[in-house]
Amino acid sequence: MASKFPSAEWLNDLHNNLNTDERYASVASKWEGDISLVIETDDRFPQTVTCYLDLWHGRSRAVEYVVPPDEKPAAFVISAPFSNWVRILEGNLNPIQAMATMKLKVRGNMAYIMRNVPTVLDFTRVAQETPHHV
Amino acid sequence: MLQPILKVDLTSGSIVEETVPADWVRDYFGAASLAARMLYEHLAPELDPLSPEAPLLFLNGPLTGTAGPAVGRFVVCARSPATGLWGEANVGGFWGPELRRAGYDGLWIDGASVNPVYLWIRDGLVEIRPAAELWGASPYAVQEVIADEVGVRGVRVASIGPAGENRVPFALILCDHGRVAGRTGMGAVMGSKRLKAVAVKGSGQVPLIDWAAYRPVRSVANRELRDHNQSVVLRDLGSASGAEYFDYLGELPKKYYQSGEMGPGYHVSGCTVSETILKGVSACHGCVIACGRVVDLNDGRGRRKGAEYETMAGFGSNLMIEDLDAVTRLGERCDELGLDSISMSNVTGLAFKLYDDGVIGEAETGGLALDWGDAESAGACIEMTARRDGFGELLALGARGFGRHFGVEEEAVQVNGLEAAYHDPRGSSGMALSYATSPRGACHNQSDFFFVDILGQTVDGLGLTFHSRHAGAEKAGDVAIHQNWRTLNNALVLCIFAEVPPERVVALLNAALGLDETVASLLLAGERAWNLKRVINHRLGLTRANDRLPKAFLEPMPDGGSAGFLPDLQGMLTAYYAARGWDPETGRPTPGKLEELGLDWVEYENRDR
Repeated sequence: MASKFPSAEWLNDLHNNLNTDERYASVASKWEGDISLVIETDDRFPQTVTCYLDLWHGRSRAVEYVVPPDEKPAAFVISAPFSNWVRILEGNLNPIQAMATMKLKVRGNMAYIMRNVPTVLDFTRVAQETPHHV
Repeated sequence: MLQPILKVDLTSGSIVEETVPADWVRDYFGAASLAARMLYEHLAPELDPLSPEAPLLFLNGPLTGTAGPAVGRFVVCARSPATGLWGEANVGGFWGPELRRAGYDGLWIDGASVNPVYLWIRDGLVEIRPAAELWGASPYAVQEVIADEVGVRGVRVASIGPAGENRVPFALILCDHGRVAGRTGMGAVMGSKRLKAVAVKGSGQVPLIDWAAYRPVRSVANRELRDHNQSVVLRDLGSASGAEYFDYLGELPKKYYQSGEMGPGYHVSGCTVSETILKGVSACHGCVIACGRVVDLNDGRGRRKGAEYETMAGFGSNLMIEDLDAVTRLGERCDELGLDSISMSNVTGLAFKLYDDGVIGEAETGGLALDWGDAESAGACIEMTARRDGFGELLALGARGFGRHFGVEEEAVQVNGLEAAYHDPRGSSGMALSYATSPRGACHNQSDFFFVDILGQTVDGLGLTFHSRHAGAEKAGDVAIHQNWRTLNNALVLCIFAEVPPERVVALLNAALGLDETVASLLLAGERAWNLKRVINHRLGLTRANDRLPKAFLEPMPDGGSAGFLPDLQGMLTAYYAARGWDPETGRPTPGKLEELGLDWVEYENRDR
């Protein structure tokens, strides 16, 4: 059943899907680093929230849905307006292209991300396959 | 606002100043576009590019030296000895801005000196000086010797190496910290004139109509550019930041364009540089990106220039060399000898392939075994080529000539004599049209459409649509628009790594020069220059049949991220000619198109066809 994006429920669904997806486990087997996906407010979304995921060797070890004023530091902080996240989730925007064109802002080790593009793309695939509604 | 051009005749020793007609500057802005207008009457079919009669033109753009966003560049243009067609190479560093500060915006070289010379330009004073003792020296050594000789701090030197002296058709011109005018053999033209170097020092101010209006626009543009993700990646990882991604997509050429995948174990990339040998970064004049790499190979020679993407791909995956230090040294040796690393690594890759195929053997190579991954043999090829020594005499023909010599010209991955850059059209179909229709051959700088295809950089404001990286004719019109925009960039001269929105470029130009341009009018200026270069090339012998791709790009890759895909070149060309307003039979701009662009004055044989 589809969960609302973003929400704690959707984040938990993504967590479960990452941990049962064999392809992701293989592609991301060397990934080490937690990420915060910051969904920023825009005219379709009233309040900025953060989806935190502790990703390690092809598994999601923990997730946390963070609502301000709470914060959650992470090795990689990826921010974008809500509408751009929806475009990515619905397959209308490639995340690497989004980074290159400033539709996503990134803080963290860019060398690590560029070296692990397959992991980034497969993480995106699992997120896209996690049912959602907006 | 263009300053005078210095005209130097190295045969007679005459030095005069000339003013470029104002309407030419209005229509073409500067640099490569204006150079096409200025050289138009001088590029006749019978002109030998390496003869004293062949002009060589160094030219700034209207924003060169203004410390705007990545605009500290200049161009060098002439008839190319590599292609026989329009030759153009643009380069960063500090030389162009220094020439502006010295009171000139261009340098036109005619004739040829009997003995080696260099030019010394200082605030309006110009000398032709002997350079016999510099002949044979690397461009870096020349910089040091000339700086000592003229005794002026901050002198900027553009120089050729031994390859230029020996007229290797892909010889480069190098200035500053290894910034190169690499493509189309401008170094060979300079060498044919026995002009070893041009040294410049200026103390004036760059002439803008309105500095007060320009400064705040420049600040905003530089701040935006500095904070752009792409700039951050280029600063952190260099231009080879995308190597792993390109490999993943099957866009990074391997084994001379025969294989689609190096795989996850391959680490000759900007990422590896940043994690291992990187010691600092370097920037061209006023640039907030700083994509230049400063590396230390722990070999006792200290810090030096690291390889950028094309060099890394050319001597890395293209030759199957996996040693990053070795790849860095091969690129460095090209700089020291004055060779374009793209063309050099390409013709070396062809030699490796023909050796692997059994077309050539040690009898032809002079005893050299050319095995994939062998950096030592690649290094030997570089040395021999620069000196045109033994087997190097054949390599110095370039890929087309080398292939032709052995009866396998179709194996050479080149278009019209210019060796292809390291962006495979089977990974980014837009590059098929870019390579096939560029005025200078298989060049990625007249439209780096892989940025659109792969990174989605549709450049807001140009009206480009994002298509699949493997789409066909539907993107032909967009390629034409992108070429027009890059042509405009090469006139300003704006670095292709700088993601400056078109509206911001308009604001910069209007503030600096008191103009009233729009994105549409700048695109029209780009289109005008693109068509003028096309007209020049037709006069120099180019026909519709020259709009082609080499065999390698028309055979599917067996593996990797683009396995099995082939670009529909003929379908794309048909759509492209229609978008351009060119005759589909001849590939020539129609009379109506020429008139629309204000080019009805060109002398076009059979114009009415």
